[in-house]
Amino acid sequence: MTGALLELDSVSKTFTRGGLFSRTQVEAVIDVSFRLEMAKPEIFSIIGESGSGKSTLARIILALQAPTRGTARFKGRDLAGLRDGADRHAFMAAVQPVFQNPFEAFNPLKRLDRYLYATCRRFAGAKDEAAMQAGADKALRQVGLSLAEVKGRYPHELSGGQLQRVAIARALASGPSLLIADEPVSMVDASLRASIVNLFRKLRDELGLSIIYITHDLATAYSISDRIIIMQKGRVVESGDARTILADPKHPYSKTLKESVLEPLAPGERPLFAR
Amino acid sequence: MSAAMRNPAAKPEAAQGPVVAVRDLRAWYRLRLFGVDREVKAVDGITFEVRKDEIYGLAGESSSGKSTLVKTIAGAMRPPLEIVGGEIQFSFMDGTMGLNRAPADLVERVRWRHLSYVMQGSMSVLNPVRRIGTSFFDFAFRHMGLDNAGFEAAVVAHLARVNLPASVLKAYPHELSGGMRQRVTIALATICRPQFIIADEPTTALDVVVQKDVLAMFRSIQREMASSVLFVTHDMGVHAHLTDRLGIMYAGRLVEEARTPDVFARPRHPYTRHLIHSLPRIGDDRPRIGLEGTPPSLANPPSGCRFHPRCVFATERCRVEVPPMEQVAPDHRVACFEKDRVEATP
Amino acid sequence: MFVVLRDLLRYNSEFLAGILMTGVVVAMALLSFVSPYPPLDQFVAPMDVPPSAAHWFGTTSRGQDLFWLLTYSIRNTLAFGLLVAILSRILSLSIGLLAGYRGGWVDRVLMSINDTFIVIPLFPILVLFYFVMRDNMSWVMLAVLTALLGWSYDARLIRSVALSLRHREFTQTAVFSGMRTHEILSREHLPFVLPIVFSTSLNNMNWSIGLEVTLAVLGFTDINRPSVGGMIYWANQHSAVVAGVWWWIAFPVGLVVMLFIGLYLLAISMNEYIDPRSRLERGGGRKE
Ligand SMILES: Nc1ncnc2c1ncn2[C@@H]1O[C@H](COP(=O)(O)OP(=O)(O)OP(=O)(O)O)[C@@H](O)[C@H]1O
Ligand SMILES: Nc1ncnc2c1ncn2[C@@H]1O[C@H](COP(=O)(O)OP(=O)(O)OP(=O)(O)O)[C@@H](O)[C@H]1O
Ligand code: SF4
Ligand SMILES: [Mg+2]
Ligand SMILES: [Mg+2]
Repeated sequence: MTGALLELDSVSKTFTRGGLFSRTQVEAVIDVSFRLEMAKPEIFSIIGESGSGKSTLARIILALQAPTRGTARFKGRDLAGLRDGADRHAFMAAVQPVFQNPFEAFNPLKRLDRYLYATCRRFAGAKDEAAMQAGADKALRQVGLSLAEVKGRYPHELSGGQLQRVAIARALASGPSLLIADEPVSMVDASLRASIVNLFRKLRDELGLSIIYITHDLATAYSISDRIIIMQKGRVVESGDARTILADPKHPYSKTLKESVLEPLAPGERPLFAR
Repeated sequence: MSAAMRNPAAKPEAAQGPVVAVRDLRAWYRLRLFGVDREVKAVDGITFEVRKDEIYGLAGESSSGKSTLVKTIAGAMRPPLEIVGGEIQFSFMDGTMGLNRAPADLVERVRWRHLSYVMQGSMSVLNPVRRIGTSFFDFAFRHMGLDNAGFEAAVVAHLARVNLPASVLKAYPHELSGGMRQRVTIALATICRPQFIIADEPTTALDVVVQKDVLAMFRSIQREMASSVLFVTHDMGVHAHLTDRLGIMYAGRLVEEARTPDVFARPRHPYTRHLIHSLPRIGDDRPRIGLEGTPPSLANPPSGCRFHPRCVFATERCRVEVPPMEQVAPDHRVACFEKDRVEATP
Repeated sequence: MFVVLRDLLRYNSEFLAGILMTGVVVAMALLSFVSPYPPLDQFVAPMDVPPSAAHWFGTTSRGQDLFWLLTYSIRNTLAFGLLVAILSRILSLSIGLLAGYRGGWVDRVLMSINDTFIVIPLFPILVLFYFVMRDNMSWVMLAVLTALLGWSYDARLIRSVALSLRHREFTQTAVFSGMRTHEILSREHLPFVLPIVFSTSLNNMNWSIGLEVTLAVLGFTDINRPSVGGMIYWANQHSAVVAGVWWWIAFPVGLVVMLFIGLYLLAISMNEYIDPRSRLERGGGRKE
């Protein structure tokens, strides 16, 4: 197992927005390059401004959007050349997403367990009902839920935190080697957040899973990631070892970002938005 | 923004008394699954009030019923959620059931002007096939009493306060990032300057820099109108800096409520204590552990104190008796038998 | 489903009226199964008898009992409308959903085909076919033709909904759960467009029945198969109005108009139900 798991080479993405007459170009991602090694599973965090292209980058890595310029390769294969069929199937089994908004991640008119079953059937080789249920239950237990709690329920019957854990469980059910988690903990409480983030660490260490962790939560990024990139307006403004950067950011935007983190007050400190 | 934009009806009277008083509210999801009735007691006996001229924070475990509570207050209940008991009384309307059994035309008048509600995950409520500008027009135009040009200027100015450029008005929701959409819904809910704003996790998709601006906007709108905000978030840092009072929920109940600094400095409920101690910080390498044990089932909650299976302070009594919510200091209420021991523990 | 029905009946008088009117027409059609007269028999009843106890709607100049003839005619007319609605639904659903979900060139190709069909002048084409096919033109063939010409408008509507579904995250979840395109369309997206499908199929039935009646009145269909339009055609052939046999025209026209209005009322009340805003207001709910 040598070589790159994922390799981004000056990836850029430009969107055109607006009607026929008032078109505006939005440069969502500009010249982003990085590389994850197959031999060294890691948690790679992307943090940055809202609207700086993090989700766009995630969609490019998931081969949902093609970059305007540059190439993205997974295990040496250019994602742009990925056609429907066996290739794509193998790719999807290996690279799974967890999306930003758990309330949107599942069809509101459909039961949740279907997605778990489908993933087990299509990607994990579960042949019959019993195998699908076992697979779904195993995945759910990895995130602190069980099939009994989820079976037969609709998305609106679960809280945000529960939904997000179901979404993570679904992604794990295919046995992926790369997980793209777009703000997976933004909707859960601090305690659950700690357990999900610890789960990521465990998945990395025990299953050798690499995780791209997109977040606004600098504290969890600090506590679990190996490397980090900080994005602003589509560009990577700083990248490297997570702890080094977050302990002592160099770029002005990274500094502002770190300073803006709201932490519980020290004794005698005045709240920022006091009346 | 211009004085003309303000709504005369939304002018506060004296800044006193609660804008909403909730008494012993119980709101359950009543499900019928294959002939078996199941009741999820997501809000089970909550009493609290949001005063005029304050920001009241609500925190608590995931799925402890925070969203259910604010949904019920905002009158946005859908079956199978039902009010099983208790009262909701608003300062701006009569009746003890709040908006939940009010006639549609009254609700229509109260919405946006007196009360507006940012749902959790509300970035998905924007109509996907309408441009953002159209949504603004649909919702806010009637309530603002401005001509077209004035309205557009007001909207653009308001968007600037949440750091959004005027160009988002031309975009469709899917063309915006998650954080941008979330800010659009915040802007929608606040543009009419309602007397009472309910915001459920409104800043979860925002980066910390933008979040700061949005929080500042909440505070300044609140201050301008001496209005009230009920602010739900998991982010204890946000509570520390923004809210005036803070309620902590666990398993469908309010377990502690105090002025925000007191919650952080002197938590008296074991769950609150855990919550505050589990906050990660940059530069702090101690591992953070999630709460031991499984989250309680709201369909079949633990007897006595609902926290007892996971509580390190629990005694025999906690297993059988329900601890009442008691006043322990001015503006500080706790529901725990061992509150003094908790406070004394460093 | 039952709750929906109950709400509709309770809050919506148009729906109630629509149900009643359509119900009467359908009941008429069902009566044809117990008719004492075979539909094609002529001169089995006295001619030109005005409505009476023995012949409720009177009889025709061709010796047919109007009431029982009408039950067959309306049954055939309804069957035609239903067949067209079903066929054109299949077309508009598959094309609309696929175009919306795939987007890109698939969408462009399908929609340009679609637009061609929107602008094609239907009526001349159908008449043309009649002259080409003559006696081989069965009603099923006419229905297939009408369906081929009548899917395009609704396909566009369905596509616009599918287009918005494509951008929602749950579609991606479905894709990454390994669901195939046809599963996503039929299981994930179809439920969202079903309400539109219901209401547009009512409109579509109205449209196709109108078309068939018109063609039949002018004699461009198989006039020996009893249909409402065909009855009016024969009445005109016998100068029924001039001869004072008004009932021969009045009852068929009245019944088909009743069907039009009934279907129309059903369609608009369903529309209202589908638009959640007006529904919430009606149900005492609230806007968000
Ligand atoms: N389909 C699209 N069409 C047009 N513009 C788009 C589209 N998708 C994204 N954009 C634009 O690209 C930019 C980056 O969006 P993206 O969703 O990647 O941001 P993000 O970093 O994930 O932000 P957030 O933290 O708020 O989720 C934004 O300005 C957005 O408006
Ligand atoms: N429509 C519903 N039907 C049945 N149960 C429901 C429904 N909606 C919510 N619940 C349940 O009610 C409980 C409380 O949910 P709620 O959304 O209020 O939690 P929350 O405190 O807002 O959580 P989070 O912080 O994760 O958003 C959860 O156990 C959830 O599963
Ligand atoms: S009442 Fe008992 S179980 Fe409940 S929180 Fe207090 S000590 Fe713990
Ligand atoms: Mg994003
Ligand atoms: Mg919630």
